[in-house]
Amino acid sequence: MKKKEEKQQMSRRKFITLAGGAAASLAAMSAIGMPLNWTENNPEIDVNSLDVNKISTDVLVIGSGMAGLFAAVKAHDAGANVLMVSKGRLGASGQTPFAKGIFAFDPEKEDITLDEYVDKVSYSALGTNNKTYTRQTAEHSLARVNELKEWGFFDSSLYNKSFSKPIKQRNIPIQERITITHLIKENERVVGAAGFSIDEQKVIFYEAKSVILCTGAGGFKPNGFPICDLTHDGTIMAYNIGAKVTGKEWNDGHPAKSENAAACYDGWGDMFEQKPSTTSVGIRHDLGVDMNYTAYMNGGTAKMGPPGMGRSENTVKGGPFRPEGLEDQGGPGGPPQGDKEGRRPPRKEGKGAPPGMGGSIVGGSTAGMAIHKSEGLVPINDKCESNIPGLYAAGDALGSYMAGAIYTQIGSSLAGSAVQGGVAGEAAAKYSKKIAPNKISASKLKEIQEEILAPLKREAGYSPAWVTQTLQGIMIPNFIIYIKKENLLKAALAYVEELRDHHLPMLKAANMHELRLAHETKNMIISAEMKLKASIMRTESRCSHYRLDYPEIDNENWQAWLNIFKDEGGTMQFEKQPFNTWPTA
Amino acid sequence: MAIKSINGCIGCEECIKSCPTDVLRLNPESKKAEILYPEDCQICHLCRMYCPVDAITISPEKTIPVIVSWG
Repeated sequence: MKKKEEKQQMSRRKFITLAGGAAASLAAMSAIGMPLNWTENNPEIDVNSLDVNKISTDVLVIGSGMAGLFAAVKAHDAGANVLMVSKGRLGASGQTPFAKGIFAFDPEKEDITLDEYVDKVSYSALGTNNKTYTRQTAEHSLARVNELKEWGFFDSSLYNKSFSKPIKQRNIPIQERITITHLIKENERVVGAAGFSIDEQKVIFYEAKSVILCTGAGGFKPNGFPICDLTHDGTIMAYNIGAKVTGKEWNDGHPAKSENAAACYDGWGDMFEQKPSTTSVGIRHDLGVDMNYTAYMNGGTAKMGPPGMGRSENTVKGGPFRPEGLEDQGGPGGPPQGDKEGRRPPRKEGKGAPPGMGGSIVGGSTAGMAIHKSEGLVPINDKCESNIPGLYAAGDALGSYMAGAIYTQIGSSLAGSAVQGGVAGEAAAKYSKKIAPNKISASKLKEIQEEILAPLKREAGYSPAWVTQTLQGIMIPNFIIYIKKENLLKAALAYVEELRDHHLPMLKAANMHELRLAHETKNMIISAEMKLKASIMRTESRCSHYRLDYPEIDNENWQAWLNIFKDEGGTMQFEKQPFNTWPTA
Repeated sequence: MAIKSINGCIGCEECIKSCPTDVLRLNPESKKAEILYPEDCQICHLCRMYCPVDAITISPEKTIPVIVSWG
């Protein structure tokens, strides 16, 4: 205790010296009872006594949602030693636990062929989809769904039990509540990852021949959608070792109820408690930013629901382009209501209103997240492989553009995660067979350990909660990240660059919970920078990217995806990749 | 706000493991779950749904702190 007091006094002295002439106002603050140690960090744990562990495996699967499940199972079945690590719990973290519809393309039951399906998706996606991945999802979906059936997936609304079945059968080791912060690259290929346990106060290094990121997407811990544990961790740690990432200009346009906007469960009605079910082909054009546009032009909150239920009254001219024949079917939110063809998962009887969308709604419940599978690592082929040898990604961590930059199909996101997990698992296992065991050098271990623990070691700094809140204030307004204009994107970028340069390096943490928040906050800041820069660069409007100053589709210049990578000097660079091509080296 | 109370906990840790945002921890003395970081609750109800004895009460309200100039 004495030591802590001394430290506090020293820090105060240091601060007062720094503050100089501000001593008078400090005295005034003290007089009104304001603490003077607001930026001090008082660690609750002894950072120097943390354990350090090292574990080796062939294939390291990071993440334990739908993609992670199939990545681990298929890599194991292809003969690799597999280790799964999860920030949360198997089947209970990320977006998987809340996804209740999974697409299964059954050629015997569908009235269109696979080729026709791919064409229809491409029509709705305005060319933004990667046809190889669109086809792959449909082609493999039934097989994955049948495996899930066998494991009991469709028998419970809680997925931990059914996910545990194949993992236990195969004795695949799994470590839960581990926050991975770093991917490690040596000699131009991935050699492992590093992170920490939030329970056991230890840093863990994983030596692996290959790594599959099944880390999901992310947002700015927004209110009203269950993605507050998703902060683009996989994307940013891959970017930091030179991986190309894509899709940062797109937006997911889910709203929340205006009353108790943060209450995800209440907004989605009873959907979170439903058992999952399958969906079939039903091409749509959903969840762009139409509603954000309406709210921007009309002011205030917006109403949604099927046409004729109050929606037409606030329809405004202009706004995002919608392809002919794909009229608004009730707007974003994925309400499993009113579908005559039974193409949505069934809902309980007597719960009339679509989840959360009965009254006034507000935008931004998924702020910081793009359309499923439109952002993440750039695949270099149809095997979910990144440009870093040995590094794979699947599900929302992979920018596969399976459905392009708009929602074209209910349930395809979960199916895509299952399919890509399987594809990545098999590819990573195959790659691992020809690779000698990897060793991480001592100097690398030391450097990364320092980076992981830095927020705990800071004597003073900024709290992750406050920096996150500040970032939300910069990014989430409708006029910044949804209804985009160059001058405001640039203004927001100036703030985000300030957070990146001055606040990110001074994030503090007093315990392992805050250490996780500190690393999540770092990732969100870099993702915000990417989103703003990509949005400035894409001088057109298409699908879920809407520029008020460039409202038209520009097919001459923008039939291209936008990739982001870090150059050797550490600067963020951008490149166009024409639609339906693979990246050049 | 958000997750409100836990009454009748049997210490099985299902809620702790299932919380995506690390809001709950096991109290080392009582060996029961406690709400340690309620400000990070995303009101998704996974903890309540995984709880085998229906011990958890959640409110839809959340006090969202106002933006301040430092923190």
